[in-house]
Amino acid sequence: MRAYKPKDNVQAKAYYTDRFYVAPQVPKTSVDEDEVFAADLEAIKAKFEVKDAYIQVEQMVIYINAHDIYGVLELMRDELAYTQLSEMSAIDWLAKDDTFEIFYQMLSMTKRKRIRVKYFIKNGEAVDSVEKLFRSADWSEREMFDMFGIEANNHPFMKRILMPYDWEGYPLLKTYPLEGDEFAAWYEVDKIYGKEARDIIGPELRDTARVDRYDSERFARLGHEVPKGTKITGDEPAVTQSYQEEGGVFLIKKLDKESSVVIDDPQR
Amino acid sequence: MAQVKNRLTPFFENITFDRDDNELILNFGPQHPSAHGQLRLMLHLQQEQIVKAHPDIGYLHRGMEKMAENMIYNEFMPTTDRMDYIASSSNNYGFALAVEKLIGLEVPRRAKVIRMLLLEINRLMSHLFWLATTALDIGAMTVFLFAFREREYLMDIIEGYCGARLTHAAIRIGGVPLDLQDGFLHQLRVFLNKLPQNIKDYEDLLDSNRIWLMRMEEVGVISTEMALSWGCTGPMLRASGVAWDIRKEEPYELYDEVEFDVPFSDKGDNFARYRIYMEEMRQSAKILYQCIEMYEKCEKDGQTDLMAHAPKYISAPKIDIMTQNYSLMQHFVLVTQGMRPPVGEVYVPTESPKGELGFYINSQGGPYPYRLKLRAPSFWHTGILTDLLPGHYIPDVVSIIGTTNIVFGEVDR
Amino acid sequence: MAQHKVNYTQDGGLPIALTSVDKIVNWGRSNSLWALTYGLACCGIEMMASGASRFDFDRYGTIFRASPRQADVMIVAGTLTKKHAEFIKRLYDQMTEPRWVISMGSCANTGGMFNTYATVQGCDRIIPVDLYLPGCAPRPETLQYGVMLLQKKIRANKAGNAQKAKRLM
Repeated sequence: MRAYKPKDNVQAKAYYTDRFYVAPQVPKTSVDEDEVFAADLEAIKAKFEVKDAYIQVEQMVIYINAHDIYGVLELMRDELAYTQLSEMSAIDWLAKDDTFEIFYQMLSMTKRKRIRVKYFIKNGEAVDSVEKLFRSADWSEREMFDMFGIEANNHPFMKRILMPYDWEGYPLLKTYPLEGDEFAAWYEVDKIYGKEARDIIGPELRDTARVDRYDSERFARLGHEVPKGTKITGDEPAVTQSYQEEGGVFLIKKLDKESSVVIDDPQR
Repeated sequence: MAQVKNRLTPFFENITFDRDDNELILNFGPQHPSAHGQLRLMLHLQQEQIVKAHPDIGYLHRGMEKMAENMIYNEFMPTTDRMDYIASSSNNYGFALAVEKLIGLEVPRRAKVIRMLLLEINRLMSHLFWLATTALDIGAMTVFLFAFREREYLMDIIEGYCGARLTHAAIRIGGVPLDLQDGFLHQLRVFLNKLPQNIKDYEDLLDSNRIWLMRMEEVGVISTEMALSWGCTGPMLRASGVAWDIRKEEPYELYDEVEFDVPFSDKGDNFARYRIYMEEMRQSAKILYQCIEMYEKCEKDGQTDLMAHAPKYISAPKIDIMTQNYSLMQHFVLVTQGMRPPVGEVYVPTESPKGELGFYINSQGGPYPYRLKLRAPSFWHTGILTDLLPGHYIPDVVSIIGTTNIVFGEVDR
Repeated sequence: MAQHKVNYTQDGGLPIALTSVDKIVNWGRSNSLWALTYGLACCGIEMMASGASRFDFDRYGTIFRASPRQADVMIVAGTLTKKHAEFIKRLYDQMTEPRWVISMGSCANTGGMFNTYATVQGCDRIIPVDLYLPGCAPRPETLQYGVMLLQKKIRANKAGNAQKAKRLM
């Protein structure tokens, strides 16, 4: 019987998992342990609803409501001195509860602190663009759209950034296989030569371990090379490779290996 | 000769001849010798002046984040090499540090010193390469040849250590795989003793060169607000008046033990960035001298450990694997199935030669990361071209792209 | 003007040399292989290194040209992505015949380590390739050796005969 493969997550799976293995947690600590973070959290809590907040690996993580994001980042930038948006992107939880988790990685250079602001959106919802606050979000949001298909409202140029404009599918979704779907497999052939060339060019060879021993067009035994298209029997005579023909090359001196010097220490 | 038939339409659609406003749309790239890779720029021109720039990236997008989700942690290490391929070890290090923070590992001191040596050598290599290519783009061929010569010496040293010139994979999660080879310190010292004279040579050629100054001074001025808003880091940010170096402000490894200065400028133009790169090379040399001393002290104190001791995550030393049954079993599990870090997430920034290189890892307790986001500095340094180029002239495009020091393995990932 | 004393009787010093058209054309073609700067990724850096001071590609008559119209050999140095695939075809079509292609590095050969949705699995799906260089990234010495092998391949051609255009399909 064929093994069942879940369709909602086609990424690599561990092939062995101990049933009784409980993965440990990266320790989370209370925000009160850090004065700067505690003050920042108070300032945010005064205006917006904060669902959860903790410190993990020296950085504060706060969960907010999706519609508050513009306000929270504006407050953080203007009043709390978090002047840089280092990074933002999404995490795909569609298989679990049909949501995306969006995170914004903030940096304050005066306080030397980093905060990660997070929220969840449902599949198909759009996020509010923060491009007006941080120009860096312009490209991040485009990348997020490109990779996950999450659109940003009020974004000036919501188009793909990394993949071609005519690409189909969102590569970082868990439902998208690493090797790509059929559209991806034939993309360049379809675009350049047309669909009818598929048969002539043939499918992609994705098996990295595949070597056809008798393929004399691509492979020949090292030191026993044969002309292209020759049938390989296995007892080819050894050929010594030299880049110059035996008779010598017109007007070019032949390298004398005896008289060449190898320098030991290049810096001398 | 008959050409192979294809479906591609003639490529004139990007040049519009019949417009009323005299605006010319110029396509630059994606394969342009001075674009430092596969950058495509759509430039809207009024005469020679750019009124709108539209950078188009993604021509080197290979899907590294997707690969990370399908690879065990150690498997992903060589892939990080191909991000910023000018300074591979800094990517290796950023990833290794992120995973170490995730599982809470402490790396032995000797490994830390070796890592710092590698990182600073990589910084020197990257800056030398930057100088060479930028100078070549602007027309200073001699500097290109000089800087590549020095870079080759460093490559020899690195090659002696890890066997590769470009894609090092020289740092492992939990330490470094090898001790320094014989002659590493000697070769490095010889190089470092020569380096000040070399840097002076470049500066003699460039600093008072009229062409260089005219192409560099007051071209591509990035204000502090713009740099912060666009997420600029590293030399780009420091040239715009913010003295922010992660090595200094949020020290990792042993950077709090070494003494070095952070050069910065408030000019924000190409020339300021050039000066910062030159000064950073001197500071790297200073750090390297101190690292050599630290390494020799480690040797004297008999600290020989190169990998952290954490049997759940890191394989035992080879001698143990070959003699101890349990170590062999652990090693087998770690190689075939991979380590399983705890559930949680981490964002770790490091100062790569280009800027802040961050790794965001979300682990769900499995052998594969659930989500890995690479925060590559060049991505935003390319984005800033949108706002930076308008108002400049066509020749300035080349010098501005040069000084932003973008590497497309990193931009597109 | 300076007067140079040339010993015409020494080998290579004769002012007249008799040869066949094949040989002289192939000599010219193989010793001025102008390469298109086609650095796509990491291999492009090694390609630059082989053109720089230590490895000095000019010794072989290989000078990098920025325009495909002036180039004889296209060195595909680096990962070819699906987004870029269209442009390699365009540039190849712009090169004048005779033209050769060196595929440098695993990524250009087979897709290499990037077995992903975005990478073309070998640039020979788009254009015909003459020489594959293994390595990730190949050393500059490998590239130089590859160019020397290509020179050998060119010399083996009959230059007098019209060359058949290489076709992928």
